Amino acid sequence: MKMVLQNIVSFVVLVLVQVLVLNNIHFMGYINPYVYVLFILLLPVRFSRLFTLILAFALGLIIDAFSNTYGIHAFSTVLIAFLRPFAINLFTNIEEDTNPIPSFNSFGVFAFSKYVITLVFIHHASFFLLEIFSFTAFGYTLLRIVLNTLITTAILLGICAVKRE
Amino acid sequence: MRKLFAFLAKYSVLILFIILETISFSMIVNNDGYQQSVFFSSGNTLIASLYKVNNSVFEYFYLKKANEGLAKENVNLQNELANLKLRLDTLKARPTDDVQTPSIDPNLEINYILAKVINNSTNKQLNYITLNKGLRDGVRKDMGVINEDGVVGVVSNVSEKFAVVIPILNPRIHFNGKFVKNNYNGFVNWDGVDYRFAKLNDIARHVIFSKGDSLVTSGYSHSFPEGILIGTVDDFNIEESDAYFDIRVKLAVNFRTLSYVKLIDYLNYEERLNLENEMQ
Repeated sequence: MKMVLQNIVSFVVLVLVQVLVLNNIHFMGYINPYVYVLFILLLPVRFSRLFTLILAFALGLIIDAFSNTYGIHAFSTVLIAFLRPFAINLFTNIEEDTNPIPSFNSFGVFAFSKYVITLVFIHHASFFLLEIFSFTAFGYTLLRIVLNTLITTAILLGICAVKRE
Repeated sequence: MRKLFAFLAKYSVLILFIILETISFSMIVNNDGYQQSVFFSSGNTLIASLYKVNNSVFEYFYLKKANEGLAKENVNLQNELANLKLRLDTLKARPTDDVQTPSIDPNLEINYILAKVINNSTNKQLNYITLNKGLRDGVRKDMGVINEDGVVGVVSNVSEKFAVVIPILNPRIHFNGKFVKNNYNGFVNWDGVDYRFAKLNDIARHVIFSKGDSLVTSGYSHSFPEGILIGTVDDFNIEESDAYFDIRVKLAVNFRTLSYVKLIDYLNYEERLNLENEMQ
């Protein structure tokens, strides 16, 4: 029960921080980190995959509504929610009957960092490509994807490191 | 039937994934800017009111900037007033038997029209600004647009009540600019990358200038009088084989915070244009 409540609070906090603070950052014209994906990344490893997809869709739609992007966030967030178990299997070997929350401690620092950066990169690549909806000025889009991936990952790992203290 | 349920259970995640992605993707594709569902947009009452609260908080941070702009404008107006008074005095002091007074000073040929920016973008490749003044307010095509900081752009389209401006932040337009220091001129053009910077071209390698030099309008166009600030030199370099400098200009106007602008109305625009056209 405590766990559910905690997740509801973090859902709301992440949405508010994302739409009220981070969406107003336009550092250098193309830096706009999307940290709300942290909610999906930190769900327990054996959390219901169906429910993860539904939560991801709802989260994406809410962010979409706030930023007038109609489905782009929903698409990208559902995509990483679907790919998340594969990334966990790829980078870690969690035992069948345990259900840890992803963190530096449970995954190991290196594996957790790889897990975060991979999923953030997939989310951002999907988001920025769908946003521009073409391959014109691809170099510029690629720059946005890479820069924003690095910044979002840095913020997320920073938050997780502080939580560990 | 049992097989079907077994199939559904086995692939439920994949099926749900495909359904959700199809919904999202069709939302993206069907979004043509007009028939959007209001529920999923910032037009939604709940979201709009949240933004309103947020706006009323952050508004105060912009008040300072608005104040600074107004104060600066105030000083400029006072200076202008002082100059005009001086000019009036000298005109009055002229003896009555003087030869025909010369035609009015070119600077007096200008009339400013104040307009509010009602739509603006800085993050696209081709940016445009919409103003709330149009034909009925005396706006016409090719009018220069400035604010208290410097050059904003040129009017490209006018309707009865509105005008669309092509700002410096649009690669389709070039502005003729010159250095205050030595009068060498070139043209300023945006490269589509950063809303704070533009490129200055056509400055030959023998020209001497340095970082921080001011660049102003040359007065050769129909749109701007001489001497309105465009920006300052931010950085420059030149390759061994190049004849011209590659110069980056820091624009004087912050296009992100644009709110009020002035349109420059040349009272003798038609006469000048006709005269120039006769020669061609």
